[in-house]
Amino acid sequence: MTTLIQVLVSGLAIGGVYALIAMSFSITFTTTKTLNFAQGEFVAVGAFLGVTVLYLLARAGGGEVGFASLPPWASAGLNYPVAALVAGLVLGALGLLLFAVAVRPFAGKAGMNWVMSTIGFGIIVQSLGLAVWGPAPVNVPSPFGDDVIRIAGAGIRPQEILILVVAILLMLGLDRAMRGTRIGKAMRAVAANPQAAALMGINVAAMMLGAYALSSLLAGIGGLLVAPIASASLFLGMGIALKAFSGAIVGGLDNPRGCIAGGFALGLLESGVALWSAEWREIVIFLLIIVVLAVRPNGLFGAQSLDKV
Amino acid sequence: MTHSGLTRRGLMGGALSLGLAAPLVVGAPRRAWSADAIKIGFNGDLSASPSAQSGRAAVVGIQAALEDLNGKGGVLGRKIDLVIRDDLSQPPKSIQNMSDLIDNEKVVAVLGPTNSGNALAWKQIPNQKRIPVMGCIGSASDITKPMSAHADNYMFRVGSVDRFQVVAVVAYARKNPATKKVGLLTETTGYGQSGLKDLVEVTKIQGIVPVASEKLGVNDTDMTSQLAKLKNAEVDTVLLWAQGTPIGQVMRSMDKIGYFPTVLTSWAADNLSFLNAAGPALAEKPIFLRTVSEARSARQQAFFDRIRPKLDADSAFSFAVHAYDGTMLLARAMAQAGATDGAALRSALEGLKEPYEGYAKTYAPPFSKENHEGLGAADQHWTCWRGGRLAAFEDAVVASLKPEDFKG
Repeated sequence: MTTLIQVLVSGLAIGGVYALIAMSFSITFTTTKTLNFAQGEFVAVGAFLGVTVLYLLARAGGGEVGFASLPPWASAGLNYPVAALVAGLVLGALGLLLFAVAVRPFAGKAGMNWVMSTIGFGIIVQSLGLAVWGPAPVNVPSPFGDDVIRIAGAGIRPQEILILVVAILLMLGLDRAMRGTRIGKAMRAVAANPQAAALMGINVAAMMLGAYALSSLLAGIGGLLVAPIASASLFLGMGIALKAFSGAIVGGLDNPRGCIAGGFALGLLESGVALWSAEWREIVIFLLIIVVLAVRPNGLFGAQSLDKV
Repeated sequence: MTHSGLTRRGLMGGALSLGLAAPLVVGAPRRAWSADAIKIGFNGDLSASPSAQSGRAAVVGIQAALEDLNGKGGVLGRKIDLVIRDDLSQPPKSIQNMSDLIDNEKVVAVLGPTNSGNALAWKQIPNQKRIPVMGCIGSASDITKPMSAHADNYMFRVGSVDRFQVVAVVAYARKNPATKKVGLLTETTGYGQSGLKDLVEVTKIQGIVPVASEKLGVNDTDMTSQLAKLKNAEVDTVLLWAQGTPIGQVMRSMDKIGYFPTVLTSWAADNLSFLNAAGPALAEKPIFLRTVSEARSARQQAFFDRIRPKLDADSAFSFAVHAYDGTMLLARAMAQAGATDGAALRSALEGLKEPYEGYAKTYAPPFSKENHEGLGAADQHWTCWRGGRLAAFEDAVVASLKPEDFKG
């Protein structure tokens, strides 16, 4: 019983990160019909930017601190939220740059040039990151400490609860915003039909820019959220982004709520399969994705839309 | 450590300055050499991978040995020069370096490489061209195996060997009266799986039947599922083969489910990445082996004090020791053979007459035709982390281990 609760708790925690990044994929896909294949690198760079802010704040607060292993107090108080904010904003700006140089010139044109250009952008970002921060993983303290909390015998770390809470709050907030505000409705209008939206006076280009900024912001925050669990590394994002993308595909790329469900489902499945046999985990997950796509090409919750002529 | 110290450019700069400094250091006492210098080569990663710091430490060790040798008149009346090649941890570059060192630079022996995979990628080259290689970092068991049975073998090593670490940890588990059930936990990478192969073979040879065997991914952050299965199988001793960060994640997952069996693991746990991932308290749980103990003898301490300013970290000292001892053994082989050609060197290495008191141990003799490992299972030292620093590990089980316990 304790083991099952442990599986549930561990699966939900990592699933929260997958869900957040899966939603970030959905945001650009619904508005621009393109994806940022550099999202993994964005997650990693977000983590390192966050660590750098924590390091600078800790230095400014006095005392000798090492970048590779920050002391627990470096994340205390407002330091961690400030770091998350900076990481999110800088990554948001990076998302704008990505859209301008690597997506916009190719979006709407025949072919898949944007796939290569976003991957290339990611490699450039990662290489610059390696030049600045080096290849070694860096330890990041959690703002709520590192002591294990027991829930019905199962252990969970404060950071995992934080990931879950922040992910759910961000997702609920965005869901409300998409459905209840003018900007949200405008974004959905652009997603449904950019030409019609433009005729209705919606600034389509601004909506698309906004989508990339928002998506990249989520990657940056996601990176700093996961860093205290996995330790920050420039190679950290690739695996997360791949799983998150899989979650989005399973849930349905054009349905943000489906992406969230897909992300959580993947996290739970991952820890569930590990209970049976860890080396079969990837096999089971990717087999499932192939099966889902074969049966429901738009994902489990994807729109089965019909274009009326 | 500041982050700027970790940049690739910084590493390259360090490697370059090492290379530039070499002739100055080596040539310090000016004398008239009777003939051309003897060249030896180093081929290994000095800048690209996290293990590059061990490559740089090995170069420091070789340079210290050459300083000592050349200071006393060199070998065969000739000075010894070191030619350094960085392989950037890439097998193709490492192969190219090997040909360059042997064919263009005409080195008489090569030290290195840093990464085991690179040694396995080119070991046929020195064997074909009959140039001895002295391994001092890479630990894969297969590096020093001959190309075919009874073939002349030019691969030697003074350094750690994965198989010997496995032999020692299994011996510990067998000798520990508290051990009732043993479980295996290994990483799904090449490193983890070759460790698993050794673990399975050695436990069988030593008569232990593991009750569970679980795997983990190198990037996994939650191993609670695997550990729950070991716990349910009542495993009290886990033999864990993985790299530094995943070993740290295993300790964190053990903390989550409140399960702390005896953990015997690979020397990857001596890496700072393990300490950072596990945190200082959990890092104190596992025990592992290193070839050079943290409890240094006075002689080792003097050597440590001499070269420490040139090392990136205290823990890199062992690689400098291996490289120093390996270089000295090569020099003794040259002196004994009275020649520097590969075949003569190999046969002299396989039959060194005089014992040599090195910094890792006294080699008496280090190698034979069948055995090309300078350090054996009994030459490893039990180590753990205490208060964020590496420390020698001592307990009744370690005290009770005899050389004959190291079977496999």
